[in-house]
Amino acid sequence: MKYAEKKTEVVVLGAGPAGYVCAIRLAQLGKKVMVVDRAEVGGVCLNRGCIPSKALIHAAGILEKAKHAGPMGIEISGVKVHLEQMMRWKDGIVAQLTSGVKSLLKANACDFLAGEARFLDAKTLEVKSAEGNWRCSFDSCVIATGSSPTKIPSIAVDQEKILDSTAALNLKTIPSSMLCIGGGYIGLELGTFYSKLGTKVHIVESGQFLAQVDPALTQVVLKRLEKKGVLLHPNSQVRACKSQGDLQEVTFSDGKKEQKVQVEKVLVTVGRTPNSKGLGLEKVGLQTDDRGFLKVDAQQRTEVAHLYAIGDIAGPPLLAHKGSQEGMIAAEVIAGLPSRFDALGMPYVVFTDPEIASVGWTEQEAKQHGVSVEVGTFPYQANGRALSIGSSDGLVKVVGDKKTGRLLGVHIVGAEASNLISEASLGLELGAFMEDLALTIHPHPTLSETLKEAAEAALGHAIHVVQKKKDSVLVS
Amino acid sequence: MEFQLPELGEGVYEGEFLKWRVKAGDSVAYDQPLCEIMTDKATIEIPSPFQGVLQELRVQVGRVVAVGEVLLTYQASGKSPKAAPEKESISANPSISEVSLATRVLAAPSVRKLARESGVDLSQVCGSGPQGRVMKEDLKKPKATSFAHERCMPSSHENRVPFRGLRKKIAEKMRLSKDRAAHFTYVEEADMTALVALRAEAKIFAAKRGVKLTYLPFVMKAMALALKEYPLLNAFLDEARGEIVYQEDCHIGLSIQTDEGLTAPVVRSVSQRSILEIAQQIADLVERAKNQKLTLEDFQGSTITLTNIGSIGGLFSTPIINYPEVAIVGFNKIFKKPVVIEGSIVIRDWSYFSVSLDHRVVDGAVGAEYMKLMLEFLQSPHLLGLI
Repeated sequence: MKYAEKKTEVVVLGAGPAGYVCAIRLAQLGKKVMVVDRAEVGGVCLNRGCIPSKALIHAAGILEKAKHAGPMGIEISGVKVHLEQMMRWKDGIVAQLTSGVKSLLKANACDFLAGEARFLDAKTLEVKSAEGNWRCSFDSCVIATGSSPTKIPSIAVDQEKILDSTAALNLKTIPSSMLCIGGGYIGLELGTFYSKLGTKVHIVESGQFLAQVDPALTQVVLKRLEKKGVLLHPNSQVRACKSQGDLQEVTFSDGKKEQKVQVEKVLVTVGRTPNSKGLGLEKVGLQTDDRGFLKVDAQQRTEVAHLYAIGDIAGPPLLAHKGSQEGMIAAEVIAGLPSRFDALGMPYVVFTDPEIASVGWTEQEAKQHGVSVEVGTFPYQANGRALSIGSSDGLVKVVGDKKTGRLLGVHIVGAEASNLISEASLGLELGAFMEDLALTIHPHPTLSETLKEAAEAALGHAIHVVQKKKDSVLVS
Repeated sequence: MEFQLPELGEGVYEGEFLKWRVKAGDSVAYDQPLCEIMTDKATIEIPSPFQGVLQELRVQVGRVVAVGEVLLTYQASGKSPKAAPEKESISANPSISEVSLATRVLAAPSVRKLARESGVDLSQVCGSGPQGRVMKEDLKKPKATSFAHERCMPSSHENRVPFRGLRKKIAEKMRLSKDRAAHFTYVEEADMTALVALRAEAKIFAAKRGVKLTYLPFVMKAMALALKEYPLLNAFLDEARGEIVYQEDCHIGLSIQTDEGLTAPVVRSVSQRSILEIAQQIADLVERAKNQKLTLEDFQGSTITLTNIGSIGGLFSTPIINYPEVAIVGFNKIFKKPVVIEGSIVIRDWSYFSVSLDHRVVDGAVGAEYMKLMLEFLQSPHLLGLI
């Protein structure tokens, strides 16, 4: 095979939110960088994940508001959804963001190469693309190849009738019915979206919905879904999925009774699998764990010193912001700075209705660590702003160390939870005490007051809920 | 394969990387020294637990390395005679649930970053903020003064050498002691005539038994016996628990000047040993200190320290306490001096002794009483055999 030769200091493999951030940071630190991606810049997050899904979810929210504005004295008749237009609008946002990333890479003099990459040895990559083949030699390489939707062997995704999340973000018509296999955050988010467009939605989950989330938070979301007519099937296994003319017949069982449901589309959202196959990792002496993740240390180094891994392939949680942070660290370590992953909290957000956002330990996790906790809860219902935007479903839970009063975690379900959580993350990183949260003035009338009041509730003196007398938390 | 910095001893979590004794590509044998690490106690040679060819040396000289950090990579050859560390060399990225949110050091991300950059282990820093929160200033203090100084602008009229190794450790220990302890020094003079005579006689006796007898064992013995009546000088202050901790045994650190700098290895259980036994221990420590053969254990566990600069000169000094001990005795030169005894001027062997104390724990009067008793033993050395 004929190769064109290229030489660089650092190759970043993958241009998603981990890879492109890493590349820009490397360039800022004076490194010569080449970014290789098989498809496009922006990765799953920008192209097939966070951004397009949240655009659609927001649009469905507008629809929902328009339909239910009656009590506010607004009557809107003839509300219609043009799904193709909605998708075009969404694609426009994606295009704007990806071209933004492209120009950032260019402005930072990062070379971009589109093609399939594979290690030839520990210092060389082969890149195959439509325009030809390259052989790239490097001093260091950052592996940021991300993840793809996990496949179920017995249910073949054809992207027509049986979809994965990628196809579900690009439908041309609103399906009359849909069944989501998997009740994690992707299943719930997309299920909610199509339900709002009018699709009859089933969600089948083998365990509990949103298993990692505090059940008190999940409960609020599940209640709302059921109210909207979404059929939830927890603790249920899918037994079969067969074509019946234009429909798909899905058989599932909760161990006691078997159900058959006929739907237009089946959506498989059972998790994500790291993209570690076909990279030639064996050529450089790297092995993944049995789930396909690469092991890294706190400096993002793999077992081979000059190879780094960041983002989804470096292990859970599979979150864009985790990948970006790891990208910054890997870049700085390569440039000789003493950076390491030492964040205390890893916030996450689920764009259900209402939203869920969380950082730090849940009550359960704190107990597992042998820490006795003080928990304060404050309902959205008692917050003026929540009522005045018609979003009274929700609550904030503050978890603190009973002995010291230290803030251990904050968990929110409710409107704008995604935008409220960062205050808690900052508090956690700074080592705040629950009292610090309670003593910080939060402007009125805002949703953020719920955090202050939840902290006050934990300390036994929230104003806008009746507090039973309890021993106030010791703050030494 | 990766080789990580092994455990260095109890309570030692990191050390300054002093030098490589090998280079990449070298074939190394079992137990061949790989590198030297300076801990706050001693310089330690790290022997190779494997046989093989070195691939990459990962650590730069002068950096602080933590136990468990990868020092080098190698290609193993042959089987290890010792149980090779089976531990996974790469730990997974600490996921959030593994960090204990309840017990982590209180420090903002910016402070944690500065700590990494300055090679400071945050858990070793005493935070000055509320609830022991580590503030940026807590990390900057030692450096701020030197950075601010205009003399720190490099010029061609000077020779700059790295400030590291034992020199840096001494600096840190001295600074720590001066920052924490409330120093005061008490000085007294002593008539050493009787001791000089006794030692002259005993020296011959000891020499026949292969022991070089100096004045130090007598001083140590006097220190230890006086401590029995004033045990507070053999204590230390546990600030975290708010307790004064009395030590049962008396182990005396002995300041020894070496080419690299000052060290203080420990003479054990002084009150239970004979003068000759003490002399033997001292001779052994001095010998090994000069040859850089002292081990970590040699430095651990002193309860009080003795410093002796009389061999150079000077009347007396005000030594810095070997923190967290609360007392250090200074023994100075013995010289002939005319003094008035019972109305006549006579020539006596004379010396000055100092004791520096941490006034937080030991009041001046207690220190003075201790000195008085210690000197009583030295002025009438036959009393040393009484207790």
